This record gives sequence, C-alpha cells and structure tokens, in this order.
Amino acid sequence: MKPALCVLLLLVAGLAHPARLALPDYERIELANGTVLLLSEKHDVPLIGMRAVVRGGSVTDPADKAGLTELLAAVMQKGAGDRDGAEFAEAVARVGGQLSVNAEVEAVAVSAEFLSRDAELMIELVSDLLRKPALSADEFAKERDRAVGLIKAAKDANPNDLMPYYANGFLFGEHPYGSPTIGSETSLAAIAHDDLVDHYNNHFGGDRLIISAVGDFDLAAIKARLSAVFGNWEPAAGERLVVPAPETAPGPRVLLVDKPGATQTYFWFGDTGVAIDYPRRAEINLANTVFGGRFTSMLVTELRVNTGLTYNASSSVDRRSQPGSVMIKSFTETSKTTEAIDLAISVLGRLHDDGLDDDMLVSSRNYIMGQFPPRLETGSGLASMLAFIEQNGLDRSYIDAYGAALAGATQASVAQAIAEVYPDRNALVFVIVGDAQRIRDDVAKYGPVTEMTITEPRFRP
Amino acid sequence: MSLFSELRRRNVIKVALLYAVASWLLVWIIGHMVDSLGLSAWVSDYMLLLLAIGFPVALIFAWTYEITPVGLKRAVDVDQTQSIVYKTGQKLNAAVAVLAVLGIAAVIGEQLLPEFEPPPPLVLEEIPLKPVFDFSAKAEVPREITSFNLPNGLEIIVWPDHDIPNVVMYNFVRAGGRNEYPGITGIAHFFEHMMFNGTKKREQGEFDEEMEAAGGANNAYTSNDVTVYMDWFPRSALEKILELESDRLKNLAIDPDVVETERTTVYSERRLRVDNDNDGRLYEQVRATAYVAHPYQNPVIGWPSDIENWTQRDLEDFFKTYYAPNNLTMIFSGDVTPEEIYLLADQYLSPIPRQHPPPEITTVEPAQQGTRRLLIETSAQTPLVHIAFHAGAEADPETLHLELLLAILAEGNSSRLYQALVEDAQIALDIGAWQSGGFDPGLAYFAMTLAPGADPEAATDLLLDLLDEVVTNGVTAAEMTKARNLRIASFWRGLQTINGKASALGNYEVFTGDYENLFAVPERLASTTPADLKAVAAKVFSRNNMTVGVLRAPEDEE
Repeated sequence: MKPALCVLLLLVAGLAHPARLALPDYERIELANGTVLLLSEKHDVPLIGMRAVVRGGSVTDPADKAGLTELLAAVMQKGAGDRDGAEFAEAVARVGGQLSVNAEVEAVAVSAEFLSRDAELMIELVSDLLRKPALSADEFAKERDRAVGLIKAAKDANPNDLMPYYANGFLFGEHPYGSPTIGSETSLAAIAHDDLVDHYNNHFGGDRLIISAVGDFDLAAIKARLSAVFGNWEPAAGERLVVPAPETAPGPRVLLVDKPGATQTYFWFGDTGVAIDYPRRAEINLANTVFGGRFTSMLVTELRVNTGLTYNASSSVDRRSQPGSVMIKSFTETSKTTEAIDLAISVLGRLHDDGLDDDMLVSSRNYIMGQFPPRLETGSGLASMLAFIEQNGLDRSYIDAYGAALAGATQASVAQAIAEVYPDRNALVFVIVGDAQRIRDDVAKYGPVTEMTITEPRFRP
Repeated sequence: MSLFSELRRRNVIKVALLYAVASWLLVWIIGHMVDSLGLSAWVSDYMLLLLAIGFPVALIFAWTYEITPVGLKRAVDVDQTQSIVYKTGQKLNAAVAVLAVLGIAAVIGEQLLPEFEPPPPLVLEEIPLKPVFDFSAKAEVPREITSFNLPNGLEIIVWPDHDIPNVVMYNFVRAGGRNEYPGITGIAHFFEHMMFNGTKKREQGEFDEEMEAAGGANNAYTSNDVTVYMDWFPRSALEKILELESDRLKNLAIDPDVVETERTTVYSERRLRVDNDNDGRLYEQVRATAYVAHPYQNPVIGWPSDIENWTQRDLEDFFKTYYAPNNLTMIFSGDVTPEEIYLLADQYLSPIPRQHPPPEITTVEPAQQGTRRLLIETSAQTPLVHIAFHAGAEADPETLHLELLLAILAEGNSSRLYQALVEDAQIALDIGAWQSGGFDPGLAYFAMTLAPGADPEAATDLLLDLLDEVVTNGVTAAEMTKARNLRIASFWRGLQTINGKASALGNYEVFTGDYENLFAVPERLASTTPADLKAVAAKVFSRNNMTVGVLRAPEDEE
C-alpha cells in the first residue's frame, strides 16, 4: 500500500474511532486568598450547575462528637446573611432553585442548580451560607434533635442505608474514617452549640474553598462576580487536617447487629484498600466492574441469577486521600444467611485465582467507556467532576487520559491490581445485620463475633 | 574569502544580533501583557516558538538577499562594486543600538517603578450576570423530534441530540399493576425480571452480557400503569440494542426453571422494599384500604401468595397480550438520526406480529363514603402517618393544579407543611407529598415520619388543619410564583440530559396521548391561577375522601 494511502486510512480510522473521554475547556483561577475557581460555559439549557467544596469534612469531627460537621452543614442552611431559616429556604424555592449542603468524609459540599437568570441571587445565597451563617442556638437544638430522630427512623427502615456506618466503624475503629458522618444518637447528644460555632470558625475559610460552575453564563462576568464575593474571605482559624493512614485491626472478625424479627439478613465484608493516588485506577475499575459493579458481574450472576438468593449484590472500592474500604455487600432471606455469605466469599476467591480473561477485559472496558459520557452531560455533573479533580490534587488528565489507561490495561496489570487491592478471603472483616437469635451460631464460623443490637444509640460496639 | 568574513560582509551577523535584541524586547513586552491583560500563558510560549523558527529563516534570508538601491536582489546577482552592504550594515547597527537602549530603559524603569497594583475588584452593580439564554422564548416543540408508527402498530419517537456520543432508549409497555387481578398480582413486575432471563436464541444472562460488552447498560421499572425498559448505550451499540430488544419481544423464553429462581429473587425484593421497611408496609396497606374496587389497590410487587403461585399459562398469556408491538411506545434520544432508527426498527421490530388489543380496564373506583383508618402496631422507634385522598388521572387538567398545590404544601424546607410540622411544631422529622395518577384516577398522598414519641393523632390533626386552611383561603400570589418556578426549573432540568428527554417524551405520549403536550407545560403553568389551586384543594381534601394509616409501636411498649 502506498504510504499516502496508509496515512489517509489511519486518519479516517482515527475519526471513526468512538469518541474519547475528555473534559470540556475550563478556566482555573486561583485567588489571592487560596480560593480556586473552575469555570466553563455551557449553553444547551438555561441552567447553571455550581459546586462549592470546603476541604475538611467529617474527618475533622472530634472523636467523641461524630456528626458535628454534618450537623453544622444542616444548621448553615437555617439562616444566613440577612435571612432567617424560613426566608433562606423561601429565597431558593421562589426561583425554583436547588441548594443543598452535605458533609462528606473529606469535604463539605454545597451543590446548587438554578436557572441562569437567577445567578446573581444564588451566588449571594451560597456566599451567605458559607461566609455568614447565623448558626443560631435554637436552630442548632432543633436540628440536633431532628438528626437523632432521623437515625432512629432509619433503624426502622431497610438496614441497607445504615450499613456503611456500622461497616466503617467496625473496619476503621478509632480512625476518622470509622466515625459515622451522620453521627450517632450518643455522639450527637454530646455536641453543644459552642462546639458548632468553634468548628465553623476553625474549618471554614477562603483558604480551603473550591468553587466550580458550569452552565449558561458569561465566563468573564461570573469570574469577576465570584472573585469579588469570595476573594476576600479570610482563611479558617484552624490548621487544615492531614488524615493519617488508617491502621486497622486484622480480620477475620465479625460484628453481628441484632435486628429482632428481621426476615432478611444484610451482610457486608471487606478490608482497607487503596487511596485516590493508587496508580492502577483503570485496572481496579475494570476489575470491580466485572466483579461487582454491574448487572452481569460475578457477584450478581452467582447470588441472584444462578441461585435466587438475593435481589442484589455489589462490590466497591472507596478511594480517598488515604486508603478507604474495599467491600462486598448483599442481603438474603434469614435462613440462607451462611449459604449466601459462603458463596460471596467463594466468588472473591475466584476473582483472586482467575482474574479477568480477555473477553471480560474488553467487555469491562467497553462498559466503562460507554457509560462514562452521561456523567459529563450536565452542568452540575461537570461542576462536580471539576471540583473533585481539584480537591484531590488531580488535573484534567484524570478524565482525558482515562480512556488510554483503560485501553492500556492488560490481564497481567489487572491481576496485579486485584492482588494489591482486594482483601484476602481468610482475613475478612464482616458486618452482619439480622435476627441474631436465628443466625448467631452460624456466623461464628467467620471469626470472633462481637454483638450489639440495632437500637443501641451508636454504630460501633 | 573565509566564510566568516563573507557572513560579516553580507550583514548576516548584524541581522542575527538585531533579531536577538528585537526578540528579547518582544518577549519582555508579551510577558507583561500576559500578566496584566489576563492572556493565557500559551501566548508567550507560542511567541517564543515562532521567534525560534524565524531565527534561521532570517539568517538565510540575510545571506541570500541584499538590499540594493533598486530593491531586494539575490546576493549572488549583485555586482560587488555596486553593493551597499556597508550602508545597510550601518542602519542595522543603529537599529540594534536603539532597541537595546529601549530594552535596557524598560527593564531599569520596571525596577524603579513601584510594584504593579491589580485594579480593585469591580463593583458588583457594574457587571450584571445576564443569562445568555433568551428566557422570554416560549418552549416550542423542537423540530428535530420525529415520530412514526410501524405497520404492526409499534409507535416510535426520536429526539436527536448530539451533545454526547450516547443514546437512550425507553420502551413503554402499557402493562402494570392495573392490568392484574387476584391470583396474578405482581405479574407485570415479574415480567420486568423475566425480560432479562433468556430467549429462544439466547441463554439466561446473554442479553445483559452482550449489552454490557457493547458498552450498554439497562434497567426497568414497573408502576401501577406501565412497565418501562431503559437502555443507555454508546452510539456504536445502536444496532446491537435494536437486535437485542427485538429478540426478547419476539422470542422470549419463559423457562419454568428460571421462573422458579426468579420467584425467589422477587420475594427477596419484596422483603427488602416492603416486609423489612416500615414505610413500605404502611404504604401497601394504605393503598389497599383507599381502593375497594379498582386494581390500583394491589401492590405492584404482588401479594406474597400470588408471587408463589402464578402459573406458566398466566405468564404466557400476559406476555402475548401486553408485549405486543401495538401496546408499546419506544423513544430514542441522543446521538442518532430518525432515518437510521427507522431503518433499524423496520428491520428488527416490524416482523413482530400485532395482537388483539388488551382488554380495557373498565372498573371505576366508586366515590369514597367516609374516612377509612388503619393501624399497624409493630416494632418502631419513629411512628409513621400516611394520609391519602382520591385525586385525578394523569391526563386530567386538574392534575397540574394539584401538582402545584402539593409543591406549595410540601416541596422543600420552605413549604407550608415542612415549616409547620417539622420546623415549628417539631412533631415530624420529615414530610413528603405526591400524587400517583396514571391512566385512571390516583391518590394525593402525604407521608410523615414523626419524631420519636410524637403522637400520630396530633400530627394528623395538624396536617388536616393545614389542608383545611388551603381549602378555605387558597394560596398566596407569592406561593403561586414559587410553585411555577419550581416546575419551570424542573422542566428544564428534565431536558438537560438525553435520559430526561426520553423519559419526558415517553410519559407525555403514553399518559396524555401526545408528546407535544410536554412543551405546553410552561404556558399551562403561566395560565394557572390561585383559584384553580383552591378549587382542586376543595375537591380533593374532603374527609369522606380520606384514608389515614398509622404505624407505631404497641402502646404498652412506649
């Protein structure tokens, strides 16, 4: 073949190749006080997605006051600037906006989505909420009682929602990752109004703020506005916390949470995994997709499709600034408890022993690539991604180079990641929620059992 | 003659010097412009690159050409006696000197001048954040939407959107809890599971394996009225998806062994959503109490004994009747064209035979004749109260009025009920309200989670007082504006994604008979008045029309 023809064919093949993953162009501005702005225009619908992330999060909760950051996030929405709580909520709703504040493990995130015509008002509200929260004693007391009540209500509902708090508590113990972000009935009761105000002063300031916005705006105008509004926010009074690496007690060990009368057992098992900077991210995502991250995963195939033991089974790898958990979870009828857990452990063993064959690798890569674009489809989705990248000290290659990293993964590199990340089947940490009377003796085979009841006012034994 | 002296003679060295000095000055100036004008850093990088490329070009040019009194000539063609290279050299020397002096002066000047002060932040009022989008424009039906029917009655709607290289498919099957009767409750939902469990061509599991290997994902949901299948996939998987969808509609295998495994999976789902969830238990009982005749009284997941006992014959009949092409509406949204969908649909979906239309559901729920109450006593730290009123069908004009009213009453923290029950009385931890209208009249539904130890009677009374208040006095103009804006924003939010577009088009087409009604929403919102809301409140919130369900711990345990 003639060289020129070769080049032409290569060009055409390149064009026909499925679109690669890439972030849109965006501008990163670092203000003098350390606040970082990440901005990109997007004009398909008259909406703006905005995210304000304050580094810190519930890892900054004092050990005996778990839930303090989450409670603070709730009270911050109950009045700020010139508005009391009702007026603040009314101001958001009146323009059809959405505004929420959530305490995450390593940040407090404000998410806002609103019509572009309301940008001026919504920036003012986000700014008031972050810089001038009222933090009134009345609202504090009310929100604290409500938070305790909501935990009790969750314990009456399907235990899946509470599983992460029991699981992280048992896995990480006294490490900040073991502290429940929502707090517990006991820890919330220990929090005073002064704690809340001190916590705000120590952990909120312009030096740890990231604001991303993507949507129907003029970039120069919104940049000027955000710079003016946040550029003179003083730094927080306290030092920024550096999360230490967790040192967890080795498995096997079992926490049994008694929910008398439950007709179903909910189980979780796992160990610590890897941090956000783990170099084989593509490999671990390829492996987890096949293992427990989609409907045809090994776990769903065994526990649901082949045996009908459950409605769902999944696995996940939680990467934070320090290693988070790697876990498998599912649920089953009480009488099938050990059958289902044994089967899930054997599937974990198979992942270690056999890894991914070539078909699985290709399928997993196609699946990840095919399912990724919708995550970058909306202004809010993009704003979240930009803030995530900044918060974790990454850059746009986190997305732009991801496709190439997925394509470059091999059976061998995936096998290496599996060995590095997934727990040893003989040293697992288990959390099992169910009717203890019916399963207590059976689950003892998994390791020494610690037992508590679901109505105890805490998530750790 | 040495090369060096010839280089000197032809002024090549002077040109090199001039080029270097001029470049240095240019880079210095650009560098300052980047800082003070906020230009991107790549500007100076590009400038350096251009200057570097230009350097050899300039030297070769100087070597090759000479300036003569009659213009530029190739050096070799110039008669050496007529050459004025010396004069040119003098001019070059002067230029180098001038530029060098300028440059040195600028650098020294910069050292002597005070530090550059950035301009103070602009005053807010001077930079209003004007939306780029024209808000006064009314939502017109986008011209790119196309709909067509295949000869077998299958209706297809296509909304191209090339923002991302992905496509969403929604297949609305007009079969839900409404089409069931004692003995087969839950069967529509069961098909939501069986549709993934193998065909005459494909073993159980192959449908998902092939779809996921092609980069696609899928899910499905069942309601009282419809079963909806959704595929999300990259454009490259389009034909594979059409083939997979056609295969399961044409060739579904209802394998008795698979049916038995799937029964236990569905039972597990029932335990998860209903039996082990206090809210799920109460919801099921309140609906069963609110309806006495209409099949909306049955839980979509099915009564336990029906899940255990429906037969092979029941399954085959149900599939043949309800999964016929003339009972489906398919929506494609995303990176596709109507032409390619038409061609693929004609190839893969046209061969599926039309069936007799499903039987009409003729039962009309008779008007309720008095409050109904039920109590579940069970282990519960937080009591629950659910209150339901019969309301309208999805296509009724009043449904939009009720939606706006429920937004005012219970959407978000500024709503009337949240402020009164959660913030002021602190009797409830949370409250939600929605309406569940479908093809037939549904319910306006209020669900409260109470604070531990709170009295369900007192909470019910408070809530009913608030409903009476709106029946008597209606809503304020400010509340009306808020409710409209909440709906307008959610209208746009829904149209942000190809998934939202497919879902909205399908729901409007199936439940109102025409997808174009979706685009009438902004105008309908604008023309709705507070009087409309007051009227619907009076019609719906009457005691005779009400069912109250309470779930709490047995009284001796409190």
